[in-house]
Amino acid sequence: METITITLNGREVSGHPGMTILDLAQESGVDIPTLCHDPHLPPVGACRVCLVEDEHSGALLASCVTPIAPGMVISTQSPRVQERRETIIKLMLASHPDSCAVCDKGNRCQLRKIASDMGIGLVEFQRIPQLATVEEVNPFIERDLSKCILCAKCIRACQELVVEGAIDYIHRGFISKPATLNDLPLEKSECTFCGTCVALCPTGALTEKEKTYRGTTTTIVHTICPFCGCGCGICLEMKDNHLVRAKPDEDSSLNHGTLCVKGSYGYDFVHSPERLTNPMIKVNGSLEAVSWERALGLVADEFKRIKETYGPSSLAVFGSSKCTNEENYLLQRFARCVLGTNNIDNGSRLYSSASRIGLRETIGFPGTTNFLDDIEQSQTILVIGANPTSSAPLVGYAIKRAVRHRGAKLLLIDPQQTKLASWAHLWLRPKVGTDVALINGMAKVIIDEDLLDREYVARKINGFEVLTTGLRRYTLDYVAEITGVLGQDIRHAARLFAEPSRASIVYGNGMTQYVNGMGSVIALANLAMLTGNIGHKGGGIYALQRESNGQGACDMGALPDFLPGYLGLGEGQARKNFEDRWECYLPVDIGLTALEMIDQAREGKIKGMYIVGENPVLSFPQLTLIGQTLASLDFLVVQDMFLTETAKLATVVFPAASFAEKEGTFTNFEGRVQKLRKAFEPTGDSLPDWDIILKLASRMNYPMTYSSPQQAMDEVEEVVAMYQGNGYTDVEIKSQHRAEFDSSPLATGNIRKRQFPNGFGRFSSVEYIPQRENSGDEYPFTLLAGTTLYQFGTGSRSSRASRLRKFSSEAFVEISKPDAKSLGINHGDKVKVVSSIDEVTAAAKVSDAVSQGIIFMPMSFPESPINRLFGIVLDPRTKTPVLKTCSVRLERTGNHE
Amino acid sequence: MNEMRERPNLNLARINEIIAHYQDQKWGLIPLLQKIQEEFGYIPPESTQPIAKALGLFPTQVQGVISFYTQLYTKPQGEKVVRVCRGTACHVRGGKTILKLVKQHLGIEEGETTPDYEYTLETVACIGVCALAPNIVIGTNTHGRMNPKKVAQLLGSRKDAEQHARP
Ligand code: SF4
Ligand code: SF4
Ligand code: SF4
Ligand code: FES
Ligand code: FES
Repeated sequence: METITITLNGREVSGHPGMTILDLAQESGVDIPTLCHDPHLPPVGACRVCLVEDEHSGALLASCVTPIAPGMVISTQSPRVQERRETIIKLMLASHPDSCAVCDKGNRCQLRKIASDMGIGLVEFQRIPQLATVEEVNPFIERDLSKCILCAKCIRACQELVVEGAIDYIHRGFISKPATLNDLPLEKSECTFCGTCVALCPTGALTEKEKTYRGTTTTIVHTICPFCGCGCGICLEMKDNHLVRAKPDEDSSLNHGTLCVKGSYGYDFVHSPERLTNPMIKVNGSLEAVSWERALGLVADEFKRIKETYGPSSLAVFGSSKCTNEENYLLQRFARCVLGTNNIDNGSRLYSSASRIGLRETIGFPGTTNFLDDIEQSQTILVIGANPTSSAPLVGYAIKRAVRHRGAKLLLIDPQQTKLASWAHLWLRPKVGTDVALINGMAKVIIDEDLLDREYVARKINGFEVLTTGLRRYTLDYVAEITGVLGQDIRHAARLFAEPSRASIVYGNGMTQYVNGMGSVIALANLAMLTGNIGHKGGGIYALQRESNGQGACDMGALPDFLPGYLGLGEGQARKNFEDRWECYLPVDIGLTALEMIDQAREGKIKGMYIVGENPVLSFPQLTLIGQTLASLDFLVVQDMFLTETAKLATVVFPAASFAEKEGTFTNFEGRVQKLRKAFEPTGDSLPDWDIILKLASRMNYPMTYSSPQQAMDEVEEVVAMYQGNGYTDVEIKSQHRAEFDSSPLATGNIRKRQFPNGFGRFSSVEYIPQRENSGDEYPFTLLAGTTLYQFGTGSRSSRASRLRKFSSEAFVEISKPDAKSLGINHGDKVKVVSSIDEVTAAAKVSDAVSQGIIFMPMSFPESPINRLFGIVLDPRTKTPVLKTCSVRLERTGNHE
Repeated sequence: MNEMRERPNLNLARINEIIAHYQDQKWGLIPLLQKIQEEFGYIPPESTQPIAKALGLFPTQVQGVISFYTQLYTKPQGEKVVRVCRGTACHVRGGKTILKLVKQHLGIEEGETTPDYEYTLETVACIGVCALAPNIVIGTNTHGRMNPKKVAQLLGSRKDAEQHARP
């Protein structure tokens, strides 16, 4: 590559074209102070603190925006530079308020740091009186704009990185400042409290509110956000075993300095007073604290007794998509080798099986095909059955960046008006549950209009005939009839997707939690394969993942039908290898999936269960029944951080450590294996899940000899092809390497250069299956269940995060204006939502976001558990329960107080 | 503020027409704002969102530009703008009192407009006729050597203004 050589402080250094003076200086170890510069942000050159002198021309240049040019002679410390820089800093300090001395930003303030580095103390300029703190009631962010130095980092972060656009400068001159629309408090603006601006602000102008601690933190731990499947890198700042602050991990090649509100402000559940600190045993109906010795002993004895009396298949284990890979690996080994059963499943059964199985059948790989960054190269992005701005915020940012800054076109398919609707080039609102028909209709247009990638299809994909035959009936008229979408719009959508050479698909639980969710996934995969959009820059399939380790838990074999690495139970050699390695006989029969376990428990065939880190009493459908069934088990062991609704039913409760108290790895939705690091010692007597599993195995006379999660991962690397070369110690380096060089082995799951893992992709034809119509007058509304940005999962952690709880603690039911009017429901009224199964209450939210006849409710509010409304209806292939939609009626129960 | 309700003929359809003309042209923001102000005399706050959407900008960015230029207004202006000079010369010769009297007569504060949209009150720095201080400008006419009597003469017809005044 071409190089440019310049003289820097008397030394010759070389860089490549396009580098700024600052880039080259940093690379050469020369320190230049900066205030408005950040590697994640587009440069603006606003503060001039980074001035350097070009000794040839005598010009003072802002090094962060000036590209290097051959022959430059640069001094970063000349007297003129020093003098000017000092003036700039002094002017900034002059307009800084006196509260600077007691500012919470303390040593983290870059302005203060630069000033002290330069020996600037007393400021001789006359002080300029400044604007006061903005009164805000949100529990996340405090703004004291008197400390603002107008570096515009917050504005750029908000507009360029997270693309909310909540703030920009208002006015000019002395009164200029970053402000929201109409200068309202943040909570009345578009702000989503992602905290990105706070992390970037170089002064005390933006700080986190409700600080638990003031002063300097002592340690910073780089780890992974425990909430959604995006897997953002976060830095936990610690003081005396106490987590004080979470910030984006600057080094993460995934989140590029951003987080969402949960990552930034949702961490403090780890210090909740409700954390379990002791093992407990139920005595006369109430749980009593006991020693580990006793609790483990009792569980070992009972499991042994049940196994001996009723056989191994009377026991079942339910693992967690929130636990690490290592823990899931150990747990499935425990179930298979110690209990002797394949009755093991994990929490992702509830949302991702359709995706896992559907993708395996078509593209031959069970997950997302590309790294997230690629999506910004897409010309068209199809989002269907997903609301990424709340369920996978990081993906939401990437989509909005692609649209706003790269001119990508968003094709949104959603019956509900999500936040992305205003970003859409074309927004289709099909009738609920008609996705397969719509996607098939698009595929047919693509074939009929010859918009497919013929060569790729011919060379790489089998089953084209099957597909064309299957699509024959999906004419525009037919599809329009089913979906309620106009034929011309379907054609428009098909062209929008197929005409450009790079198009991506993003889908989520809105597709996979339906009956025939797998059909929708296959239909989408057909669409991607037809147009050649598999695993190339800007073209791929993104299957969103609800929880931090949904994919990993399955990869590790916490499944009733697969050993680690999706090796089938019936594959003789694979089985044998595991049997030799683990020195045990592996059960042969396929085990039970999560909901089947419940079914068998009801019939009295399952006697004992071990539930790790999951809360089925809130996360499964038909909750009342689930609760009764679990309560009726002979023996239930629950391992959790909190006394969840499920744990309350247990005979023995094991207290588990939080994500911040243990080591291990999570596999994010892209298939990136990332390392979790321990920030402090487990609370009370709680232990990491992996440790508990090992201890229990030993008590049952089957010691599994791993001294650490790392040893377990070393083994995983040997036995799971997809994880080979993940090298526990340098996981993140390798994942970055792959992202950069595009030359990955098929390790963590990225299909590269449009190659299918099995050599060929496979088209299958899928049929639209009509759903039962709304059951007439009795339940006239269609309920859509979904996520909200400020709560997570069943809420067992997010409702114990103090700030999230404060900001958003009440469930709501969103209802269209005409429906509200005809039922006499006002905004804020208490409403009872009744299905044929059960009922819940929530506050009405009258809005334009839902169409007539549809209501929307978020999950994640333990007080209004909407899963109660669903009957247990399983997709026949994937055994995923329907948890997305059902028929309900509404009753007003009280007026808004 | 209740002026929103009473604002004369806010023709949203026309605003949307103007906006449509500049669809997807990011650079078109300033000419678009000028065009709206030319027709409406100000930029109705209701137009911020549609402008942002049409041009692919955030509403905050549009607000940022509007608030940057003092000659762009976000409130309807009166038919005549009354500008009271607060330059040094006028100040030392009682400009402050004149301002107070003008406020009383019009029943409004600085930056506000009378409910009948006849007058808008602004203050300005020196207008360059210090010799005649204190000065006020009404519309395009400059009035020098102001005193309470002259204020009453010029704006006296609005005696009842106080009744109209907003609290
Ligand atoms: S608030 Fe902070 S980040 Fe934003 S412009 Fe001011 S100093 Fe910069
Ligand atoms: S918290 Fe996030 S959304 Fe809110 S102003 Fe800051 S960057 Fe924008
Ligand atoms: S996007 Fe997901 S992983 Fe990232 S901070 Fe938010 S919840 Fe955590
Ligand atoms: S850091 Fe270069 S101008 Fe601010
Ligand atoms: S100070 Fe008023 S005109 Fe000069």
